[in-house]
Amino acid sequence: MLSLTPMPTELVSYYNDSEDTRHFCFRLLDPEAIKKTQPGQFFMLHIPGIGAAPFTFTTPPDSRGVFYALIKSVGKVTRALFNQQAGTTLGVRGPFGTGWPIKTLAGQRILIVAGGCGIAPLVNLTETLLQQNSYQSLALLYGAGSQKTEMLKAQRLRWQQQMPMYTVLEAPGQSELTGTPVDVLDTVLGQLGEFPTALLLCGPEIMMQKMAVKFIDKGLAESSIWLSIERRMHCAVGLCGHCYLHHSYGCADGPTYQWDHYQRLSAGDTDPGLVIPSQI
Amino acid sequence: MQSYQLETTQTLQYHLADHYQIYQRVDLQNGDSHWQSMESPQPVTPLQKLPISSPKQFFFSERENLFSFDGECFRETVPEPEPFVLFGVQSCDLTAIAYQDQFFAEDPYYQARRKQALLVGFDCLTPCEYGFCHTVNAGPGVNPDCADIILHRQPGGDWLVLVSSLKGKQALRGLNLPAADSQALVGRDQQVKNCIEQFEQDPSLAQGIDQLSNETIDNDFWQQLGLQCLSCSGCTTLCPTCSCYGTRDFVDDTGQHQERFWDSCLYESFQREASQHNPSEEAGARLKRFWTHKFSQQTVKAFGRHGCVGCGRCEQTCPGVVGVHSTMKRIVAYQAESAPC
Repeated sequence: MLSLTPMPTELVSYYNDSEDTRHFCFRLLDPEAIKKTQPGQFFMLHIPGIGAAPFTFTTPPDSRGVFYALIKSVGKVTRALFNQQAGTTLGVRGPFGTGWPIKTLAGQRILIVAGGCGIAPLVNLTETLLQQNSYQSLALLYGAGSQKTEMLKAQRLRWQQQMPMYTVLEAPGQSELTGTPVDVLDTVLGQLGEFPTALLLCGPEIMMQKMAVKFIDKGLAESSIWLSIERRMHCAVGLCGHCYLHHSYGCADGPTYQWDHYQRLSAGDTDPGLVIPSQI
Repeated sequence: MQSYQLETTQTLQYHLADHYQIYQRVDLQNGDSHWQSMESPQPVTPLQKLPISSPKQFFFSERENLFSFDGECFRETVPEPEPFVLFGVQSCDLTAIAYQDQFFAEDPYYQARRKQALLVGFDCLTPCEYGFCHTVNAGPGVNPDCADIILHRQPGGDWLVLVSSLKGKQALRGLNLPAADSQALVGRDQQVKNCIEQFEQDPSLAQGIDQLSNETIDNDFWQQLGLQCLSCSGCTTLCPTCSCYGTRDFVDDTGQHQERFWDSCLYESFQREASQHNPSEEAGARLKRFWTHKFSQQTVKAFGRHGCVGCGRCEQTCPGVVGVHSTMKRIVAYQAESAPC
């Protein structure tokens, strides 16, 4: 039988990242409760009496059960989290979902494209790739609204010592590149030199759609693109139904999808906000 | 499958009442009926109309606590019901229970109730107003895999009892019923066949299901249909296979709790995220997913059957006239119009 009951978890500490965004450090009271995670998997965080929502591990649980998450205050659950004091007991369930295809990425020229807080599910992946050092090349293109909202400045500065890094901000005059990641793709590809063989995406769905289509037009195989999608979730175990993507449940089959699988599922939907590739 | 003769259902009801809380269908003055706990078993009346609510709520509760928190620990609040019998469930609803048994196979709350239940099914002998169970392989005769005991009313008023599970066999222990002969089984098959022949023929049902199953219906159709959907959740609430739920946290004198409650994938806010991004903002998109989910090949692959058992409750309740009969008729008409000359 599965369990829908959270494991008690201490909110150890937190520190600010950017506007409305904090790094939270949690500790599972039973360090054995979560043994192994894959980069890109997620957990459900329960604020007792308030609600629960899915978040990604930026650093997975260590032997003491300590792990980190980068969280933006957006809705009821996150607003309540930002009001919690260090030392409070909260609840955690997980790990859930399918992570990034680490093994497949070995020997590849990898480009990671992140938009806004979509960088969170890519943090643990980037750290893991840098540590494994089994890729041919690795680069990150990160887009945000402005200097106020761009995330992980310190981490990205550190990464920049080890890999090419491109930051694009929508606010004019705040960065070398202005616009969205889609706007500056050709410039970035020109500077990169060699064309990527693997593309990893996380950010607003419309940005990921446009980016994937651009790369396919440029000749990248559909099966070489992966994306992590965001969906509302209540159970995270494929029962409550909220995270559906046509016949698939984002909590179990995702949140990481290979592009061709995602595209087939999306074509079954009629979300007017999304750009369905066949209509582009 | 062992078979017995029974003069009156009350003999069986009183026998079962020694070990089980009995729930029966009770007729209301307005012609409807509903499921009710009985102090003492009541005579069984012929089914006039399918109860508007299926027995889904006996296992997948409309609202239930999942866990409680006392400030330090989370405690799972799995129910501990006494053994109970649902006496006289129709084949469509039994098929739906078998479907949900698969869906909730690993759900401790559902299974805690389900393992305490004995299911006594009734073969339907006359079609109900909105039903089409025979079209989706869910009746009118009870599938032996879906019940513990099956009761079949014979022309003379006696009953044929079929024992279709070990639980059913154990429940009959000590009753010493006379064995039925093979003619009784032949008679059952004939009566069920007669019932199927009485159903109104509606070819659009099978044709519509085929179109849905092949996912050949374009988005314009769903956008048109969506104009009539009020997102009221009447269909999903009454559908015996619908299983979507939401959760809500609350605080009372005893601590902090999380409960789950029946939700509906047809609500506008069902998928809306904290950021306000909503992948299924339009009613047409939600209807498309609802109907393709019920009749997709993926559902058949996962559950061995369609997610619809042909009870017709969605048609009965839908104020926008986009229940199953209306939708299938519309699909067939739309596809005929769209077909190349």
